[in-house]
Amino acid sequence: MSKEFMPKIISFLCKWCTYSGADLAGTNRMKYPPSILPLRVMCSSRVNPVFLIKSFLHGADGVLIGGCHPGDCHYQSGNYYTRRRFAILTTIFDSLGLESERLKLSWISAAEGTKFVRVSTEFNEKIKSMGENPAKKKIFL
Amino acid sequence: MESKKTSSKIGVYICECGPNIADNIDIDTIIARLPSLEEYQNKELVVKRYKLLCSNEGKEFLENEIRENEFTHLVVAACSPRDHDTTFINVCKKTQLNPYLYKMVNIREQCAWIIPDKEKATEKAIRYIRAATSRVLKQSELIEKQLDIDPGVLVIGGGISGIETALSLAGKERKVYLVEKSSELGGKMNMFKELLPRQNGNRDIIEKKIEEVKKNESITIFLETELESAVGFLGNFEISLKNIKNNQPGAEFTVGAIVAATGFRLTDTGKLAQYKYSKESEVYTSLEIENMIKRDGKIVLKSGKEPESVGLIHCVGREEKGYCSQICCNYMLKFISFLQQQSDSIKIKDFYRDMCLPHKEDQGFFEEVKNKGADFIRISDVKIKGTHVEYTPIGKDKKEVDVDMVILAPAMEPEKGTEELAELFNVPLSETNFFQEEHQQLNPVETSIEGIFIVGACHGPAGISESMLQAQAASGKISTRLIPGKKIVPEVKVSEIMEDFCMGCRTCMDICSYGAITFDGELSVCVVNEAICRGCGNCAGSCPSGAIRAKHFTSAQIYQEIIEAIR
Ligand code: SF4
Ligand code: SF4
Ligand code: SF4
Repeated sequence: MSKEFMPKIISFLCKWCTYSGADLAGTNRMKYPPSILPLRVMCSSRVNPVFLIKSFLHGADGVLIGGCHPGDCHYQSGNYYTRRRFAILTTIFDSLGLESERLKLSWISAAEGTKFVRVSTEFNEKIKSMGENPAKKKIFL
Repeated sequence: MESKKTSSKIGVYICECGPNIADNIDIDTIIARLPSLEEYQNKELVVKRYKLLCSNEGKEFLENEIRENEFTHLVVAACSPRDHDTTFINVCKKTQLNPYLYKMVNIREQCAWIIPDKEKATEKAIRYIRAATSRVLKQSELIEKQLDIDPGVLVIGGGISGIETALSLAGKERKVYLVEKSSELGGKMNMFKELLPRQNGNRDIIEKKIEEVKKNESITIFLETELESAVGFLGNFEISLKNIKNNQPGAEFTVGAIVAATGFRLTDTGKLAQYKYSKESEVYTSLEIENMIKRDGKIVLKSGKEPESVGLIHCVGREEKGYCSQICCNYMLKFISFLQQQSDSIKIKDFYRDMCLPHKEDQGFFEEVKNKGADFIRISDVKIKGTHVEYTPIGKDKKEVDVDMVILAPAMEPEKGTEELAELFNVPLSETNFFQEEHQQLNPVETSIEGIFIVGACHGPAGISESMLQAQAASGKISTRLIPGKKIVPEVKVSEIMEDFCMGCRTCMDICSYGAITFDGELSVCVVNEAICRGCGNCAGSCPSGAIRAKHFTSAQIYQEIIEAIR
């Protein structure tokens, strides 16, 4: 690669907490990598594991899910289900030989702009060090 | 609605936000690049920029553009949807364009302001706009319905919380139905003669309020009655009552909201080994003492004699229940103060574990009774055999003492029937068996079912002032939500289950926090009640057969966003 590798990181962010946290980072003019591509969902629990597989197979180098802290879900308990599904999915990823370290789940509240910046910057660094997602050229769906 | 258009015409409007976006993103590049992208080759695409889209001129401009161009879909690339999504939805509503065929892209907070490199920021903005434009083509019209509401309210429980709720809500245009299972209004307060001295009150308060309720023409009182069934949703609940005495069906009517004010009872001390005592012994619960004060005007032994020494035990059952009942320390102080007034030579031993004095007046009251000679002993353990008290002061050895009378402060627990009521409403109970609020901080008086509220001690241990606060809070919420003569627009971004794909596993039913999903036994499929669904999408995230469409967040829509964002 001649140019610096810029990963593509699909980020599913819940409207109430993490998406607002990301907005706050923007409002405070903080900086985080352009590789983070936020998609807004009502609740992190909307994220069907298939979305992650889909992102992967279409060439995402990483997927980040952001939701409210446990106990703070706008819909009472959605994030607990997200956590469960996420745990199962990472196991499936590992057993398929896909790299589950390319998936990340993080609880970031609407007030945690700084945390959003930190998490996305660190995750971006990690994905950069892992290089391009090797699955994208191999598997078809 | 109008006829389906065969070809789509998409408008993409990029806001400059003054310098905010224009300085950091190369808008002209976007305008030049977008139409050349392969996915728009056989579609009509109009891409334009504007200074300030949320200004009045901006909104007018957008409105005219939508009309003149006869757009079938619209994308607005501007600030966060948090700021102006509603603004542009309202613009769409003025035109032929269904607002659910519009999508906002956040190129300010999530592009212009976070990426210092203009080229990279522009690159990301393009990805983002592509994702939204492809998504919007997968979106479908959703039609908002306007529903008539019934402003009336059903209040269950005729104690202070229910009475206060009824009085705050009843009016010319709002009927209130007050249902009480016993034969009189007043609830636990009927047992009290005196309220806490520092609360500046006596039982006139409740008597006056009961009078007011009876006089109020907008309040219908049902005594010895309970709720038989309640079906519906905010604005429209069908209610049937049941007469407890003859077990006959009672009145039927419609209300817009329901308030549970079913209160508490004291935990059964007989079930706690360390507090066993016989009927003959001089051991009393706090409510028995309240009753005694009201009946006899004094605290006396069974013989009619005044006690010379009294032991008071706090936190009876606290450990077993796992919560503090909040009001006991305060009323124990009230009893001590009462006993001190009754006799100068009274010997008080107060056995407490922690002293809970939450109100601003409490500390002063505590010091007052302490200065009058009451002996406060902080204990780690206590046990009674009748009026013989064995106790372990913190960090010391076990001691014992005989007193003439023992007063127990048993933990508050939800009134009998709370569980059945929760089941009837399909609202959850908390781990402590009290009703669970929708959100402890953000929505403390409403349950997970919109339109069903909880006030007073059925919600958790609460004294009179907390109960009043909750009653007034719930009333405020109801009166702003159910305005007589106004319609409500239920959420349309709800989920639906496609019968043909559902295999009836009921996964979705178990996870929905709102009880919006039911099982249709005949068809062996699950069904979403759209009036209850909040559109969180959890069910759609869980369904193993992909049978659930979260409208406006469908898999097809999200797939498009994913594909374009990483293309
Ligand atoms: S719509 Fe948003 S981006 Fe455009 S001018 Fe208004 S605040 Fe700025
Ligand atoms: S989870 Fe899916 S398949 Fe199972 S009952 Fe619900 S809709 Fe049907
Ligand atoms: S979208 Fe949420 S509220 Fe609606 S049925 Fe599904 S889980 Fe329940």
